[in-house]
Amino acid sequence: MRVAFVGKGGVGKSSLAGTFARVLARTGERVLALDSDPMPGLAFSLGVDRDDAGLPDDVVEEYDGDARVRYRLRDGLTGTQAVETYARRSPDGVRFLQLGKARGPRWNNTRAHFGFQNVLDELPDEGWSIVGDLPGGTRQPFMTWGRYAETFLVVVEPTAASVLTGRRLARLADMEGAPRVGVVVNRVREVDDADRVAQRTGLPLLGSVPFDPALATADRLGVAILDHDPDGPTAVAVGSLVESLRADVESR
Amino acid sequence: MKIAVVGKGGSGKTTTAAVLARTLARQGQPTLALDCDSNPNLGISLGLGEEITERLLAVREAVDAGEEEHAASADELVRRFGVDAPDGVRLAVVSAIEHPHPGCPCCGISPEHLLRELVMEDGVVVADFEAGLGTVMRLDGRPVDVVVVVVEPTAKSLEVGRRAADLVIETSLGRLALVANRVRDLDDVARIAAVFPDLEPVLVPDDQAIVEAERRGLAPLDAAPDSAAVRALVGLAEGLAVPAPT
Repeated sequence: MRVAFVGKGGVGKSSLAGTFARVLARTGERVLALDSDPMPGLAFSLGVDRDDAGLPDDVVEEYDGDARVRYRLRDGLTGTQAVETYARRSPDGVRFLQLGKARGPRWNNTRAHFGFQNVLDELPDEGWSIVGDLPGGTRQPFMTWGRYAETFLVVVEPTAASVLTGRRLARLADMEGAPRVGVVVNRVREVDDADRVAQRTGLPLLGSVPFDPALATADRLGVAILDHDPDGPTAVAVGSLVESLRADVESR
Repeated sequence: MKIAVVGKGGSGKTTTAAVLARTLARQGQPTLALDCDSNPNLGISLGLGEEITERLLAVREAVDAGEEEHAASADELVRRFGVDAPDGVRLAVVSAIEHPHPGCPCCGISPEHLLRELVMEDGVVVADFEAGLGTVMRLDGRPVDVVVVVVEPTAKSLEVGRRAADLVIETSLGRLALVANRVRDLDDVARIAAVFPDLEPVLVPDDQAIVEAERRGLAPLDAAPDSAAVRALVGLAEGLAVPAPT
């Protein structure tokens, strides 16, 4: 299963993606959790410390292709080997890879960026499930950062700005020919929130997660909600989401 | 005075920028609100509603697609592509676009450069920046006078905010103000103080009135003018209107 979480900044993409990755790993899948955002986010929600889990520059080499410099993984290094070597081992057996932390005002992330993309391009053929946490907003999410994904989960909370972002993402997905795209409504407070939000984004409703004060506390403590409140409403809702997507994949 | 509002996505940047802009405009200063986010939502928080907010983005996308004439100057950009918002605020969406014309004042330059170009001798610019640190890193050359770092008391938001504040301090980007949103209790206050022992934050309480305004797509200043959260942000605007002690 290869999914990518997108949506406005602060709607809970990382919390849901981190929980999703761990729940999926518990079903026996080999899971790589990917953070495409240079600021730390997914690590907290997976329950690992905040250290860098990126690809070092020297795993990427330059070569001349079509009269311009291109990048590829160092000779002989497969995507799986790169993950086994550089991705951090995380709770429930999830492997965690990060684009790399922003290292200051003049950080050149060209190599890290292309190395990351090269790994992603190889993994689907090597039997990995991928759970991606994409940068917030609407900047080219579908065919660049998320091009490995079979399913895009647009996370929306029931606020006007978040719904508007969801609508913009739905339009972009359509323009870019993205594969399956659906909405996961987060911080649901009223019974009709999920249906109302899904309807306003024009996307099929794939999941619904109630407003969870325990998640607000976990975010304050910098710990994974799955460790802070293992059987709470967020864990239960993400469990249902994983189950319904698994059933969907199997039915195809 | 030019003010940049920065922080992690979802920490309350846009709400803060909107209350700042309208409060400063109410004091009689010509005020320009710049939405520098590629996913622009400032119009909603200013009270313009979804339709106008979406129309501003459509104009920006039309320029990007080559369907709309580019503006010849920063001022023309604001005049042609901006709209009037409540309290006399002028709002323009100036997010970076995918296909800029090199050298074009309305698109070939970043929001940071545009901020440098705009002449506001007796007025105010409030720029709501894209989330994260990228834009703060590009603020060198001091295009703004004040940087407002917005955080909420979560581990992630505080970390982003701390790094933004450090950048502002290390590179002398301007006067630094810290806004701490969604403060629930004394534990939250302690969390913020632990990360920012050097700064006196404006504490904005976690306020159901703001949640409700955001759900309804209304400006907090219109929907909940007397709420504790809005009053705290109005207080920040009033503080910024007074020159910093030297």
